[in-house]
Amino acid sequence: MADDADGGDGEQLAPEADETNEAPALIMAKIEQRGKDVDALLRKQQVADALKTALADPPTNTRDENCKDANYAVMLKAIMSVKEVDPVLSQLSSKEADILMKYLYKGLASGEKAICDQCLRLHEKLTEKVGVGSIIRALGDSKHTV
Amino acid sequence: MLAVCPNSNEVHIFRVPPGSVSGSELERIHVLKNHDQLVSGIDWAPSSNCIVTCSHDRNAYVWNFDGKEWQPVLVILRLQRAATSVKWSSKENKFAVGSGAKSVCVCYYEQENNWWVSKLIRKKHSSTVQSVAWHPNNALLATASTDFKCRIFNAFVKGVDAKTDAVGDTKFGDVLMQIDSASGWVHDVDWSPSGEKLAFTAHDSSLHVIDIGAGTPVQTVSMKELPLRAVLFLSETRLVAAGYDNVPFLFGLNDSGSWCLLKNLDEPKASSAEKSGSTFSSAFEKFKGQGAPTDSLEPLKPPATIHENCITTLQALGPAGYSSTTRFSSSGLDGKVVTWELKGVLEGVSGLKL
Repeated sequence: MADDADGGDGEQLAPEADETNEAPALIMAKIEQRGKDVDALLRKQQVADALKTALADPPTNTRDENCKDANYAVMLKAIMSVKEVDPVLSQLSSKEADILMKYLYKGLASGEKAICDQCLRLHEKLTEKVGVGSIIRALGDSKHTV
Repeated sequence: MLAVCPNSNEVHIFRVPPGSVSGSELERIHVLKNHDQLVSGIDWAPSSNCIVTCSHDRNAYVWNFDGKEWQPVLVILRLQRAATSVKWSSKENKFAVGSGAKSVCVCYYEQENNWWVSKLIRKKHSSTVQSVAWHPNNALLATASTDFKCRIFNAFVKGVDAKTDAVGDTKFGDVLMQIDSASGWVHDVDWSPSGEKLAFTAHDSSLHVIDIGAGTPVQTVSMKELPLRAVLFLSETRLVAAGYDNVPFLFGLNDSGSWCLLKNLDEPKASSAEKSGSTFSSAFEKFKGQGAPTDSLEPLKPPATIHENCITTLQALGPAGYSSTTRFSSSGLDGKVVTWELKGVLEGVSGLKL
């Protein structure tokens, strides 16, 4: 059916400008620094703090895949170091839990057995804590991907 | 009386038969059928007693009761896509229709032509408009759209509305506010009785409330549960929202000025231990039953909630222009309409089965 009265289907979503005007290089620098912080905390066996640090300020507003991958690598280090799940998860805020959920799904998507095992273990406990709402937010959020 | 659409192109009007004590049995008195396709929205104006319906056939009808029958008047919406929702404005001289054509029609009655005229708000939405809500001042319109945004429009129509209702120096169809806090489809939107606050629900399992009067930023309540499909203000400090969990939730404004989940209004009476995971296990049981047909089928457990499927609409019951109400009804995909009565914190529930 002709749809020209409404501007047609060709009418595209107005391209959304990157919400942060930060250059990818700047974000990368932050991620690198965060990676070092996480490494330091992991060496001190402070896993919960390492995870919280890794979860801080995720590059959700940029479209730059390199930034996302770099942050995922940092995140993965923290996730894989979690041994006792409950005490670590209990320290997360609901915002941090939502972000962690996204990274768990990203981990599951990798298909590597060790990563998937660990992500599933965390996923079970995290769902108990924050419910299915968080899963909906992780899967349904196409705007703030990690 | 009650008007419902049984998921077809008809609208059925029910009433509680005179002499009925419990009010739980209903009698069908009218069937309105003029639409060609699924009726997607019904709104009944309390004071003018007109019903407006809109449908996927891209038309709307205004129905007037002449004492015997409901007489339809066709409204040409000039839409290219299905209409999704319809609402009367507070003064009932206009109604708004949301549609899949990324536009909203504001319709008003033209005396000279004896005709409902539609005025379009176009090119402001980048996706389907799921729901519309009128501000009590009759001039502002809030829309919920699947482009993840909630918007407020100026819907003042010159010559129809009193000049005193005009909104600043903006024109009809101007976006006055665009709220971009949701990260999923916005399903439903509602104004508080005073029009100071606006609430909307989105498919990211969250409820968003903005106090426009106070000019505070949007508050987002992220829920543990499944997304909410409908939202309804009961008063300035209380609202109910319901959706894919089949139960209405009561939200409230606490002393520190933030909105939070107060309670589930359909709390299962059974012990909580039995409740946990029951929806999953019963679903699994059903699948098991299908996989192994030789197994003797266990009788299905009665559902733990009154609604057995997603709640799609909430409607306040009470005088028009209320400042607070305790009664509302909900309807869902299970074909049930349930009326709810809140008594303080306690509530009595009467279910109406259709």
